[in-house]
Amino acid sequence: MMKDKKITENKLLGFISFLFLWELLHLLLKTHTVPSPVETIAYMLTVPAALATHSCASILRVAASVGISLIVGVPAGILLGIHKTCRRLLSPLLYFLYPIPKIAFLPVFMLLFGLGNASKIILVIFIIIFQIMLSVRDGVDQISALYFRVMDSFCVSALQRYRYLILPAILPQLFTGLRISIGIALASLFFAENYATTYGIGYYILSAWTKMNYTEMFSGILALGFVGILLFQILDRVEMHMVPWLKKEK
Amino acid sequence: MQNNYITFDHVTFSYGTQTVLKKISLNLGKGRTYALIGKSGTGKSTLLNLLAGFIKPEGGNITVNGEEISAPRKDIGFLFQDLGLFPWQTVFEAVSMPLKLLGRGEQAKLYVTGILKEMKLENHMDKYPHELSGGERQRTALARTLIAEPELLLMDEPTSALDAMTKEELQGLIIRELKKRRTTLIFVTHDIEEAILMGETILIMGENGAITQIENPYASIENAKEQLDFYEACINLRKQLNVGDQRGKEETL
Repeated sequence: MMKDKKITENKLLGFISFLFLWELLHLLLKTHTVPSPVETIAYMLTVPAALATHSCASILRVAASVGISLIVGVPAGILLGIHKTCRRLLSPLLYFLYPIPKIAFLPVFMLLFGLGNASKIILVIFIIIFQIMLSVRDGVDQISALYFRVMDSFCVSALQRYRYLILPAILPQLFTGLRISIGIALASLFFAENYATTYGIGYYILSAWTKMNYTEMFSGILALGFVGILLFQILDRVEMHMVPWLKKEK
Repeated sequence: MQNNYITFDHVTFSYGTQTVLKKISLNLGKGRTYALIGKSGTGKSTLLNLLAGFIKPEGGNITVNGEEISAPRKDIGFLFQDLGLFPWQTVFEAVSMPLKLLGRGEQAKLYVTGILKEMKLENHMDKYPHELSGGERQRTALARTLIAEPELLLMDEPTSALDAMTKEELQGLIIRELKKRRTTLIFVTHDIEEAILMGETILIMGENGAITQIENPYASIENAKEQLDFYEACINLRKQLNVGDQRGKEETL
């Protein structure tokens, strides 16, 4: 309880320090391009419904992308980790595609999947799925050979091997991959939401930018930050529930 | 006693070009404890892994209870040197896992609570391996192996990482539990005292896996260490361990 209180205090202190530095920058630069945090927060309080709507649109897109990436990426990552032939065949392709800036394919996706949500979600999936696949593959790699032998000694079926060994063993790496993926997904949406949509926090920020309304733009940036905090907090909670042994180790 | 419960018939095994076991033949009885000792590299762990079905012999065959070993079997349990406790399983989860794997999950609570009491782990049920002492981890792994009720238990240096007091405690526990269940035990050890305390028969492995069997009267004595000639027996065994090829010899300490 005391530890939790301390952590909350530290987070609050970190946020106040950030606002303080922002205010300092605003005072030093003396330009309307960097509005003061007080002004920005005051503006945010005047448009809560708009910010909530745009944030929700982005959160839903991130959730859909992450969900589908998990459904496809986890089994694919396990396959790469377990079957050496699959790894030999697919790893070069994976390494080739992983560093390519997938955002450049947005026009292709729009052409193939239309101007609606599908093309944006598929773009984000295309960006984060490699991260998830590689995290899971590395998680499988790190399972001790001894653990497989322990399972062999109990004469387990393939399904039991996944249920009791592989799936729990890859969870820590999967959560690390998810944390990175959510960050990348939010950053990618900022770009993807600029086309053929009027909803999403990315749209909100760039729309304000084109209007040169910097207070509105910064309120969008701050809202995007809060969306990030919310998603990471949810992920931390889920991780604490699903990987309790790591929490105790720490 | 079934004298040919375990049989090795001209078993050969090599790692690459290095032959570790060469035409080994051996008959072992049911319900007894066997200590397997020998210098490093003589193939003790290989013999145990062959018996567990983890690896297959290049030549010859191995049978347990009349059935040839070609893969791991449910009636054979293995206690690994490094234990192999999963970091994500609490003591209760680890010990109940074999029952769930056998489709007896509904019995888990009753059986697991019972065995954890026997192993003095009832106050550690919700702890993860990193929260346990060396002895507690060892007892958890032993409970996980025994709950599946194997007829034959194989142990690879079960107490090598423990301090002297914990080691003695665990040796007593292993023997008590196995006698109660009439489980046959074969264990690899480098500890001469442990071999004499726990092994009713001591198997000395020499070059190419040649095996000498020594009947050991001390394993059946309650307080063997209090016998005047116990340490003399230890010295004798150490001397015999240093002799080279002893294939086929059968002796008594």
